[in-house]
Amino acid sequence: MLHTKIINSKDNKLSISKAENFIASSEYGASIFFTGTVRIQNNNQIVTGITYDSHDEMVIKSFKEIYNETEHNLNIKDKAVFIEHAKGYLNIGEISIIIAVACKHRDEAYILSRYIIEEIKKRSPIWKKEHYNNNESAWLKGNPIIHEKN
Amino acid sequence: MKIEIELFGASRDFSDQNTLKLEVNENSTIKDIKKKILDYLDKNFSGNENFKKIVNSSAFCSKNNNIISDNYKITKNEKIAIIPPIGGG
Repeated sequence: MLHTKIINSKDNKLSISKAENFIASSEYGASIFFTGTVRIQNNNQIVTGITYDSHDEMVIKSFKEIYNETEHNLNIKDKAVFIEHAKGYLNIGEISIIIAVACKHRDEAYILSRYIIEEIKKRSPIWKKEHYNNNESAWLKGNPIIHEKN
Repeated sequence: MKIEIELFGASRDFSDQNTLKLEVNENSTIKDIKKKILDYLDKNFSGNENFKKIVNSSAFCSKNNNIISDNYKITKNEKIAIIPPIGGG
């Protein structure tokens, strides 16, 4: 069971309770909630906010691929996964990503949660532009996306 | 022929629009398009080295949302996207 969405900060905020509702099930004994938030300092600079940019269709596609491959790669069959990522401007402390997972047991829930965030970092086309207290801003460098064979 | 390149992330600084519109030869490949963008940056941003680095480390994505190789041939009026190095979360 999978939920994925890009949330434009102009329209809405990411919500833990929405994630809780989605993964809640008497079938699962272990739930993990991972959130990423905008922090105030990066590379010795004071950050005032971050603008997130996203290729929405590719991001959603990557979330689905990551979810689908967990059955084979991690051998985790029964699971509920909720992934939302923010787009647009976020202030310090605001949530940029929620990954909520529910599985039968804690071992697989921890593994699943960690796997999803690490793969998103490698594969999902999302970019951050940091804004600093001196009124300057900069796109973070990031890592080249994995090239697939055409 | 005309093609359109959607800009994302750091490449958004290449234009005040969301896309770059380029005139390219028929049967142009992604490799040719990269060269065209570098020429555009030479002309409009005095060859800004940081911008050129972005192009050289970027992937490209087809309208079907697949990452495409340097040999991919662009068709007329095709809209592709430039995918600079990523880092969400």
